Amino acid sequence: MNQELTEKLTDLLSQVTGYIYPNEIEIHWSILIVVYPYVTGVVAGAFILASLVKVFNVEEVRPTYRLSLLTALSFLLVAPLPLNLHLGHPERAYEIFLTPNLRSAMAMFGFVYAWYLMGVLLLEIWFEYRGDLVVWSREKQFPMKWIYRLLSLFSNDISKRALEFDHKAAKAITIIGIPSAFLLHGYVGFIFGSVKANPWWSSVLMPIVFLMSAIVSGIALIIFLYMVITPIRGETIDMRCLDRLASFLFYAVIVDFSLEALDFVHRLYESEESVKILATLINQKLFMSLLIIQVLLGMIIPSAMLVAGRAWRLSEELRKLLYFTACILIQVGIFSTRWNVVIGGQLFSKSLRGLTTYKMEVIGSEGLMMALALLVLPFVILTILVKLIPPWKEASRQTS
Amino acid sequence: MPKKVPEQIIRLGIVISIIFGSVALTLYLLPPALKDKPFHRRSTILAETAKPIQFAGSNACADCHDDKYQQKKTGYHRNLSCETCHGPAAEHAADPITIKPFVARERRGCPTCHEYDPSRPTGFPQINPTIHNPLQPCVTCHNPHDPVPPRTPEECAACHAGIVRTKAISSHALVACTTCHTVPEKHKITPRIIRPTKPETRDFCGKCHAKGAPVVDAPKIDLSTHWEKYVCWQCHYPHLPAERL
Repeated sequence: MNQELTEKLTDLLSQVTGYIYPNEIEIHWSILIVVYPYVTGVVAGAFILASLVKVFNVEEVRPTYRLSLLTALSFLLVAPLPLNLHLGHPERAYEIFLTPNLRSAMAMFGFVYAWYLMGVLLLEIWFEYRGDLVVWSREKQFPMKWIYRLLSLFSNDISKRALEFDHKAAKAITIIGIPSAFLLHGYVGFIFGSVKANPWWSSVLMPIVFLMSAIVSGIALIIFLYMVITPIRGETIDMRCLDRLASFLFYAVIVDFSLEALDFVHRLYESEESVKILATLINQKLFMSLLIIQVLLGMIIPSAMLVAGRAWRLSEELRKLLYFTACILIQVGIFSTRWNVVIGGQLFSKSLRGLTTYKMEVIGSEGLMMALALLVLPFVILTILVKLIPPWKEASRQTS
Repeated sequence: MPKKVPEQIIRLGIVISIIFGSVALTLYLLPPALKDKPFHRRSTILAETAKPIQFAGSNACADCHDDKYQQKKTGYHRNLSCETCHGPAAEHAADPITIKPFVARERRGCPTCHEYDPSRPTGFPQINPTIHNPLQPCVTCHNPHDPVPPRTPEECAACHAGIVRTKAISSHALVACTTCHTVPEKHKITPRIIRPTKPETRDFCGKCHAKGAPVVDAPKIDLSTHWEKYVCWQCHYPHLPAERL
């Protein structure tokens, strides 16, 4: 037997409890598969936040509209990378387009992704920025002038009518975009929820739970970015916007928490044969990541903070501090949610009589370092995008 | 007067038609062979087939070791492949003289399957390697090509280790399993279908525990007044009589 594999399995064997099948000792969906739903979740959440401005006319949160779109784009560009790295042979990725398999949910990812990227997000950003791009292309020097010209597709018309058309088009695309964002992330939940052999995953609630937690993580990330970027730019934070965002975040957390609690209670009441091993799983392997990090630190404490900020009419500074801490805790909590689904679902045996453990690589294409790199990469892309096409309205007003 | 098509639509239309056009063109230009699924799987198949073959398979073993093969074929290990215990033997099959396969002459191999584990099926032969003939290689007593299940009564522990351990510290430690249970020989082969007997009457326990019974040390009771409607083991756990249920 392969020496390296033998050593790895020997280490793991001492961690195995009860009875498990031989092919269950090693976990196959690694931390990269945890990163993947987390990243796509942020995309869907950020986009849905953006749609609040465009479709539902929530004017208070307008300062974050473009930032949400750019955040969604930078995370969307990173979304397929964990899958590519996990599967290996990224040079073959295009083959899912050449040989489409309509009966495989996983194989349809390429199309869902391409539609969301090309059909929704890029189009909406283009319509939103087109007027500004034209202005910038006229004012800047070479080479930026040509970059803006190219980005605007050599468009030239900034008449009132044309800008109105842009606005209408962006709105129409957002309306199409909302179900598309639901599709993108609901799809990720569907992949897990439809694994009928795995009692931890198999649940019709899975897509909707994924979606709500996606909205939570997206809104929390935008609040975080808004609170970090605004002071860096030397501007003051718009408290009306922040309070509104915080209340949306609170509602989303409540719905998410209720759905997860419903799922939990439902499983408990059904008490299928898997209930004992799942209870052991929660008590032993996932105690820290599920009960402490996900539920306590990621949901209960942040929602208490969000409520406290509003209910006691605290000062602005204190509210900011509470919101900021809550957003960070929620990010950690949602990442932990993904961890508990992906890794938790592989920790127990299909014999329902034993548990294994996950030994994470540190370096390597599926290791911790790679996961961290993939989590940092969207912020690098976002920085470039923000430099290239600044999301604040003031910038375009100054230049125009 | 017809409405003017907005400039944006024209420009986007151009980009979209370029994308769709190039996709369509690529698909049209690609030779059909390139769109075949077997083509895309080829590199995987090549990578898999390029791996060195490690296992020879039982049939290769039978060619030379027919005696062992025939012996194993009817025994309890019939469903195990030779290489399960002897390890990958493709090299040995290619060069039988110089390369010898692994032969398990130590105690390490057998407990992989036969060490006591409560989650193993009832009746599966299990031992505690620490106390089961310590330091002796398993092959001294058991022939791995035709292993024979242990005999009753000494080896009830092979399957019922928990009960035997409990009984060993009870006041019934010196009472053999077969004193109370009659164990048909076939129980060892089909343990769930052919079951041993359990004492069904009060008089059975009374042989030692009734007033006037010949065993001096055993606690005595009056069978006619002591909870006469119950069988003894409904209240007393015979493998640890000090504990009452």
